[in-house]
Amino acid sequence: MDGDSINSPDRNGISKIRDLIRRQRQESDGGCDESSELDFLYDDADNYTNEISELYSYTEVPEFRKNLAAYDAVMERWGIPLQWQRLSPEVRKSVILRLLNHFELSSKTLRAEAARAILYVAQGCWSEVQSEQEQQQWTRYNVTLLLKNGIFQAVVDLLCLEIESGPMAVRKPAVSLADSAELRVIFSILYTIVETIRTKSDDDTEEFEEQRKAFKAEIAQPVRDELLAVKLLNMVIKFCGGSAPHFPIKKVLLLLWKVVLFSLGGTCELRELKTKYRELAGLAPMKEDTLEVSRNMRAASPPASATDLLDAQNERRNIRPLRRSLMKQTSLDESAALDLEMGDQMEEEMKEIEERRAMEESGELPQPPSPRPMTPVPAKNKGLPWTPKVRQKDLDAFLENSRMKFVGFPIQGDRDTLAGLPAPIHEGVKVLKQHIYVSLSEWQMTREEELWRCPLSMKESDTDSPAHGVEALYAAMLPNLPQYIIALLKILLAAAPTSKSKSESINIMADVLPEEMPMTVVQSMKLGIDVARHKEIIVKSISAIILLLLKHTKINHVYQFEFISQHLVFANCIPLVLKFFNQNITAYITAKNTIALADFPSCVLGEPPELTPESLELGEPQVYCWRNLFACINLLRILNKLTKWKHSRIMMLVVFKSAPILKRSLRVKQPLLQLYILKLLKMQTKYLGRQWRKANMKTMSAIYQKVRHRLTDDWAYGNDLDARPWDFQAEECALRAAVDRFNSRRYGEPSKILPDFEPVDHCITSVLGRPVHLTNTFREYYEVWLEQEVFKNPVNWDEVLSCPGYF
Amino acid sequence: MTMSEVKVIVRRNRPGTKGAEFCKWPEEPFEEMDSTLAVQQDPSNITAILTPPETQDEEVWKYEHLRQFCMELNGLAVKLQSECFPETCNQMTATEQWIFLCAAHKSPKECPAIDYTRHTLDARRLFTQQVSIRESSLGKLGSVCRRVYRIFSHAYFHHKTLFDDFEASSHLCRRFTSFVMKYNLMSRDNLIVPNMEDGAITTTTTTTTDAAPVATETTTKVTPPTGNTTESEA
Repeated sequence: MDGDSINSPDRNGISKIRDLIRRQRQESDGGCDESSELDFLYDDADNYTNEISELYSYTEVPEFRKNLAAYDAVMERWGIPLQWQRLSPEVRKSVILRLLNHFELSSKTLRAEAARAILYVAQGCWSEVQSEQEQQQWTRYNVTLLLKNGIFQAVVDLLCLEIESGPMAVRKPAVSLADSAELRVIFSILYTIVETIRTKSDDDTEEFEEQRKAFKAEIAQPVRDELLAVKLLNMVIKFCGGSAPHFPIKKVLLLLWKVVLFSLGGTCELRELKTKYRELAGLAPMKEDTLEVSRNMRAASPPASATDLLDAQNERRNIRPLRRSLMKQTSLDESAALDLEMGDQMEEEMKEIEERRAMEESGELPQPPSPRPMTPVPAKNKGLPWTPKVRQKDLDAFLENSRMKFVGFPIQGDRDTLAGLPAPIHEGVKVLKQHIYVSLSEWQMTREEELWRCPLSMKESDTDSPAHGVEALYAAMLPNLPQYIIALLKILLAAAPTSKSKSESINIMADVLPEEMPMTVVQSMKLGIDVARHKEIIVKSISAIILLLLKHTKINHVYQFEFISQHLVFANCIPLVLKFFNQNITAYITAKNTIALADFPSCVLGEPPELTPESLELGEPQVYCWRNLFACINLLRILNKLTKWKHSRIMMLVVFKSAPILKRSLRVKQPLLQLYILKLLKMQTKYLGRQWRKANMKTMSAIYQKVRHRLTDDWAYGNDLDARPWDFQAEECALRAAVDRFNSRRYGEPSKILPDFEPVDHCITSVLGRPVHLTNTFREYYEVWLEQEVFKNPVNWDEVLSCPGYF
Repeated sequence: MTMSEVKVIVRRNRPGTKGAEFCKWPEEPFEEMDSTLAVQQDPSNITAILTPPETQDEEVWKYEHLRQFCMELNGLAVKLQSECFPETCNQMTATEQWIFLCAAHKSPKECPAIDYTRHTLDARRLFTQQVSIRESSLGKLGSVCRRVYRIFSHAYFHHKTLFDDFEASSHLCRRFTSFVMKYNLMSRDNLIVPNMEDGAITTTTTTTTDAAPVATETTTKVTPPTGNTTESEA
């Protein structure tokens, strides 16, 4: 492009500035190569190895030896050879059962020793294995064995005991790793079991599959009248309340996430459930799956920034007529392209773009007059990744508007009469009708209204409340739901990289910080990495937990979802997430807070590694950090879930000035992440004003290209700022009322909802036996009352019988 | 009538029976029983009791037996009440070495022995909530066994005469021991009441164990059996 710009001295100067800015930006981004797209695949969780190694902090590494020691001590005492691999299956089982017996001993040391020995077994008896793979195989084998012998339940019992009788009484100024030793062992066992069983592998036997199913059912069952997930949530509340600062919160959250993920199901199950429920509700099947489609998307080119502004100025000066014609072109193409097959086109288009890119890079392609990179050439068949959708509401509004315009009066509730309307409107209605999509939420809302209106004649059937784990979890969470949400967000705030550690009300570092602070430089470097990693893992698990809850409740019943999301909004989730993104997000995503040598199991296989500044850096180089990217996407998805179709909350996005924050985050070249950012931008463009849109045409076209179109939605040009005053209170209150009605109908006491329809008690003994409370005044003046009301008023009781109205 | 002169013993507590009369009838000798119940009335015939009918689902069979054990253990519990007081046995002990926690609470805690007995036997939720046996509840049988067994061991080590008395008439501990051994619900080493079954106690040395390693004695590493079909439920 420089070859072209040499010709004019004026442009040469501009391009130099541009280069400078670009270079600066690259440096500030941590040297991330902007042109490369991140090869990231969004999933429910990272791979097994990473998920397991994230369970342990680096300060915990010395404790692995303790587990081995406990195991050795127990085995020696019982006179059993130490090598687990050499034992016969019967002996292994017997060892496990004996250890299990120790779990119920009153002596704390013996219990702790047994727990450590069990953890060592669950960790795959690593002192006997040679490779990581072997360790995983043994973990898998041992975990099935443990599960079969009821270890999971026993450890949950142990957890109950430890929660009650922790070292809470001792209020120390600084809580450290040592305070949570027992709890951490328990959590490590539970997490290893859950994660190992949950992870699917290619060589799963049928028996393993069965066991997974059984375990999935078991984990969704209440133990001692409490779901495991709820027990963990209660722990989170306790931790946030400050009454249990020693809880290893990272492990609690990780386990909570995995328990929810495993018992309710991840992306796959969500899709299946949605399809199933849509079918039950008699709705058309889903059109596309967001994750599927975005997998085939390309990341947008580096978005608007200072360079773009310069471009925009250039364009305005030079090629304004051309641009206008371009825009016309694409908008015309839209309708033609809609009916065509999407898949082939996408591929073709991608190839084309890729070819163009390659040519551009090698300088073969003749450059267009503007030096702007990637000027969109009027494409022949521009396909969009999504089929557009229309809501029934939109169609009604469209019909009403046209009728008002052409006929002069509206026809309420009529969607077919087109009399008096011109042909283009007919066509418009036809297209709209083609793309009508009724969401499950809308169906559930109308259904709920019907149920409310006819409480006696209509009963909830199976389609209304499908028996699924979510239902039980929601019902169990309902009484304390606001507290759970607040607690989770509090921890998220404390773990966000931008928050200052001094002003924190809660200390989330208790389960990383060792008793003695590091002495050497390397050690403190290591601790620094450890702390950052700890925070990242907490953010990752909380974002995943909230997202899972939102997604599952949304499918199960929209009002459950609304209840949770409203509490999230009230607890300031929206500004919190924005605050989170108001950091150098590219640096966050490329952060490398991992020490490969200290990860489990590498840290226990072979010789203990010597830690030097160099060895901290060892390990596979990575372009991005999986957990951070995952967390970012989750947070954006949460934000999308909260704000979609909620006018008042979109206004919050505007008020909190989210546009520049979000736009900056667009620099991360990951299609899914960008898609969610673009969605967030799209819903607020209307309110950002003409100036913003003008300056951000690139972002605007990215939105056009990547986000689903709503056919009558005038998101890009509409200016209905005045038409809809921002009434946060009213909207949220209306929603709140609907949600409360739903909650009390479904989960409240039946007598409170419909007092008039309760059966009347006409057994004489029970009615007369009911305690009657008389006021003191009445007691005092009882005789007066008797005199005036009873004795002075003769009642002819026979008349009562003859009165026809009574019977 | 001549019939009325023969005193028929009705072994039944009619409604309104006085406390003094409750269950006050002579034991019927085994030889005189002529109903089909006779089979069930011989507690010493353990093998017969523990052999399931042919078409019986094994899991339900185990479950029902355990339920029966808990019911019959009430006999021992009643006897224990006269001798085992919270003041004397303030912990659930079996030998002086082991003190156990009572698992029947929201979080396990130390209960006096008699309370442990009562709580464990009363923990109805172990049984009532499952009419059909779910796969997931199977693992719990083992833990119920463990807890119930401690009642036997406490009685044996701390109330020996009472235990012997009860055992002589019911053979319950013997039966329980064979039951858990038959279905492999407890580790042999945890069965600490001696002389109950073909020498359950003799195995405390566990010398038999290292006789069957999975792999041969060569130095090649042993890979875990991924199928784990045959081994685990040996």
